[in-house]
Amino acid sequence: MSLALFRTEMFKQWRRPRTYVALGVLVLIPLIFTIALKSNPPSPRTADAEDAYAYLATKTGLYLGVASLFFLSRFLLVVVVAVFAGDAIASEASWGNLRAMLVRPITRSRLLTVKLASAVLLAVVAATLVPLTGLALGGVAFGWHPLEIPGAPSESSAHILASLALATVYVLWSLSPVIAFGFMASTMTDTPAGAIFSAIGIYIVSQVLDGISALGRIRSTFPTHHFDAWTSMFIRGTGPTTDMLRGALLVIPYTVVMLAVAWWWFNRKDILS
Amino acid sequence: MTDDLVIESLALTKQFRGGVRAVDTVSFEVQRGSVCGLLGPNGAGKTTTLRMLVGLVRPTSGSARLLDDHVDPGSRVLAKVGTMIEHAEFVPHLSGLTNLRLYWESAGGDLGTANLDRALGIAGLGDAVHRKVKTYSQGMRQRLGIARALLGAPQVLVLDEPTNGLDPAEMRDVRTLLRRVSEEGVTVLLSSHLLGEVEQVCDQLVVMDRGRVVRIGTVAELTRAAASMYLEVDDIPRARVVLAAHVGVRTVAGEGPGLAVELDGISRADVVRTLVEQGFAVDTVTSRHRLEDVFLGLIEPDVS
Repeated sequence: MSLALFRTEMFKQWRRPRTYVALGVLVLIPLIFTIALKSNPPSPRTADAEDAYAYLATKTGLYLGVASLFFLSRFLLVVVVAVFAGDAIASEASWGNLRAMLVRPITRSRLLTVKLASAVLLAVVAATLVPLTGLALGGVAFGWHPLEIPGAPSESSAHILASLALATVYVLWSLSPVIAFGFMASTMTDTPAGAIFSAIGIYIVSQVLDGISALGRIRSTFPTHHFDAWTSMFIRGTGPTTDMLRGALLVIPYTVVMLAVAWWWFNRKDILS
Repeated sequence: MTDDLVIESLALTKQFRGGVRAVDTVSFEVQRGSVCGLLGPNGAGKTTTLRMLVGLVRPTSGSARLLDDHVDPGSRVLAKVGTMIEHAEFVPHLSGLTNLRLYWESAGGDLGTANLDRALGIAGLGDAVHRKVKTYSQGMRQRLGIARALLGAPQVLVLDEPTNGLDPAEMRDVRTLLRRVSEEGVTVLLSSHLLGEVEQVCDQLVVMDRGRVVRIGTVAELTRAAASMYLEVDDIPRARVVLAAHVGVRTVAGEGPGLAVELDGISRADVVRTLVEQGFAVDTVTSRHRLEDVFLGLIEPDVS
C-alpha cells in the first residue's frame, strides 16, 4: 500500500462533512441516552435486554459503554460503516474525480487497497467511538465503579472494561460483510447512495431471514446470525462464547468473496464516469 | 519505433457490452513536439480513443504506446503524461489548490517538483484557488484542469476538448499555451469538434467518424485536397455552364450573387484564365481552403 496515497486519501476523508456528521451522530445518541437515564431512571424489574442494560448503566457508568454499543451496533453503526464503505469508490466516480486518480501511475489494486484501508480505519474509529463515548458520559453521570447489585454476583471494573473491549472488536469484525459488500457495490456504481443502501439492505435482509424460525438450521449460515453473541458476556457474565467464535468465523468467507469480486470487477472496469 | 514517435495508437478497438463498437481499428502516430488534433463529430469515438491511450478503458483489441512504453492502467509512463479527459472534475469540498496538491502527492510526488506556481499561473484563478471547487464555474474548473494536467512538466499532454466552457479570450490563451508547450518539446494530443481551434493550433489532424479514422494529415494536406473558391462574374448563368463542362471542376453551385466552385486537381488561376478567355468580366475571386469544407466532406451525414 502506498503511504502517500493513503495520506492523501485520509486527508480527503477527514475534510468531508459526512464524516463528521456520521461520527457526530454516534456521539449524540449516547448523550441523549445518558440524559434520559439521568432524568428518568429505569425500574430494576426488567423484562428484556434493552431495559436491563439501561438499568445497569445507572448502577455503574461503565455499563453505559456496554449499553451504547448494544443500542447503536444494531442499526446506526451498521449505517455508518455502510456509508464509509459504500462511498469509497462511488463518490470519486460521482464527482468525476476517479478518472483523474487513475490517469496517475497508480494501479487499480493499489487504489482499492488504500480505499479499503481508509474505509476500515473510519469504521474502527466509529466502532470505538461508541463505547468510549458511553464510558465517558457514564463516568460523568453515574461514576466508574464495579457493578454491585444485591442478590447478584458482582462484576469488577476490569472485567467490564475487558469484556467491552472484546465486544467492540467482535462487533467490528461482525460488520466486515457489510463493509465488504458496500465496498464491492461501490466499485460497481457511480451512485454512492446505491452502494450504501445496498450494504444496509443486505444486513436488513439477513436479519429478517434470521428471524424466520421456519428456515431452521439454514439461519445459522446468515452473516448476522451471531451478531449479538457478544451480549452473553454481560447478561450471563460469561467469557467469550462458542457462538462468538462461530460468528467470527462465519463472516470470513462472505467478506473474502465480496472483496475478491470487488478486485476482479474494478480491475476490469472501463472508467467512463 | 523511433525516438521521435511519442504516441502510438495501434489498431485500437473498443466494443462495449451490448455490441456498440465505439472505436474500430484506430491507428495513428504522433511525433515528438507536435500538436495533433483528434477531430470528429460527437460520437466519433474521440474520447474513448483518448481513454484507451491513458489506460482508463481497456481496448477490446489493439494497443496503445506512450513514450515507447505499453500503456496499462496505472503504468509508470503515466507519470510523464498530463491528462484531462472530458470535463475537468475535482473533489468538490476541497479548494482548487488542495486538489492540485493531493493530485500530485497521491502518486508519491514531492510538491517541490510539481511546478505548482506555473500551474497556478496558467489556471489564473487568483485568490479563488483557495475556495472550495464546488463554488467554481465550469470555466474555472476547466482552467484548473489544464493546470492539473501541466503539473510536473509532463512530456505528453492528452486533452479532451480543453476549451470547453471557456470564453473566447480564455480559448485564445489555451491555444497560445498549447503552441508554447509544443515549442518546448511537449507532445500534445487534443480532441475537439471546434474546427477553427484545431486549424489554428494543430500540426497534424486525425479525423474520426463513427469510430474509424477517415483521414490523417496536416491541415495544409487536408485542405489542399478539397480546394474550392467563390467568384462573381458578369454573366452567372453562362459561367455556370462553362465551368460545369470544365475539366477539373467538381461542382458549381450558385451562392448569393456569385458561384461556389469545388476544384479537383486544377488551380484557381486555371479557372480564372478560362473565364477571361471566354470573355467574362471576373469581379471577385475568394479562396476557400477551409477545414470545415473538408471535414463535412469526410464525415457521413447522420441519417438516424
